[in-house]
Amino acid sequence: MSDAPVVRLELPARPEGVGVVRQALVGVADGLALDGAVLADAKMAVTEACTNAVVHAYDDEAGRLDVEMFADDHALTVVVRDKGSGIQPRANRTGTTALGLGLPLIAALSDTFEVRGGPGIGTEVRMSFTYERETDPVEDNPITGGPGPTGRWELDEDAVGGADGTA
Amino acid sequence: MDARTIALDDSHGDVRIVVVRGEHDIYTAPALRDRLDEALGTGASATPPAGVVVDLSAATFLDSSILGALLEARRQALEAGIGYVVCLGGQPEPGVERILEITGLVPVFPVVRSLDEALGAARSAPADAA
Repeated sequence: MSDAPVVRLELPARPEGVGVVRQALVGVADGLALDGAVLADAKMAVTEACTNAVVHAYDDEAGRLDVEMFADDHALTVVVRDKGSGIQPRANRTGTTALGLGLPLIAALSDTFEVRGGPGIGTEVRMSFTYERETDPVEDNPITGGPGPTGRWELDEDAVGGADGTA
Repeated sequence: MDARTIALDDSHGDVRIVVVRGEHDIYTAPALRDRLDEALGTGASATPPAGVVVDLSAATFLDSSILGALLEARRQALEAGIGYVVCLGGQPEPGVERILEITGLVPVFPVVRSLDEALGAARSAPADAA
């Protein structure tokens, strides 16, 4: 991986910023040999990582959403950082309950992913997407369970894979 | 860039259609929730329909915020005895089809391929309380 990111974005952690990150991703992918299905998965996974930052990372203060994209010979890596209090589930500031499907989707749609951080130090989600896949990452990290009565997604506990480590 | 619109089509008698076009995420999820509430007739003076169809055939991107809004509306429809069906159209955007398939939500909503089928299913019976 080259040291300098292809793109570095620093945005207010607000809902309207998530689409901006997606557009930047499409722009970066334009110059790479990225398969269309991989780009679609990358858009989804990166959206979910940014959404986690927007919804969970800050209480009421306006925070920052930092995104870096790196490209090497065979994969695009996207790093999403916030300085919030972590990604533990809770009601978001719009008053609706988040579905809780963000991390399972990131796991299912990226070729590798890693989540670091915790209360007080913020969260970093690092995802990589191989330009030409040999297998579908969903097969390694399938999404289990379904919508529960409270509105949150309920995973099958014995089938969760890699939700807090490298996929 | 695609137009991001959410419209309510009430020209189909007792079934209301919420038409979702373009890219949708956490930014437009509140507007979708409002439109779904309107379609379900949850407002004080509104009349509930026999069924609601969510038409995603011109949607180009949906994230989990949108799935959350669609699932919440489905729950409200089930409680009120209103039919609820998601229509993906004959040539859906691959990313839209993929999020519905990998989450296993195709049979849950349920998801059908044509608007005629969706209208019929939404009208004939409220979705099963699964």
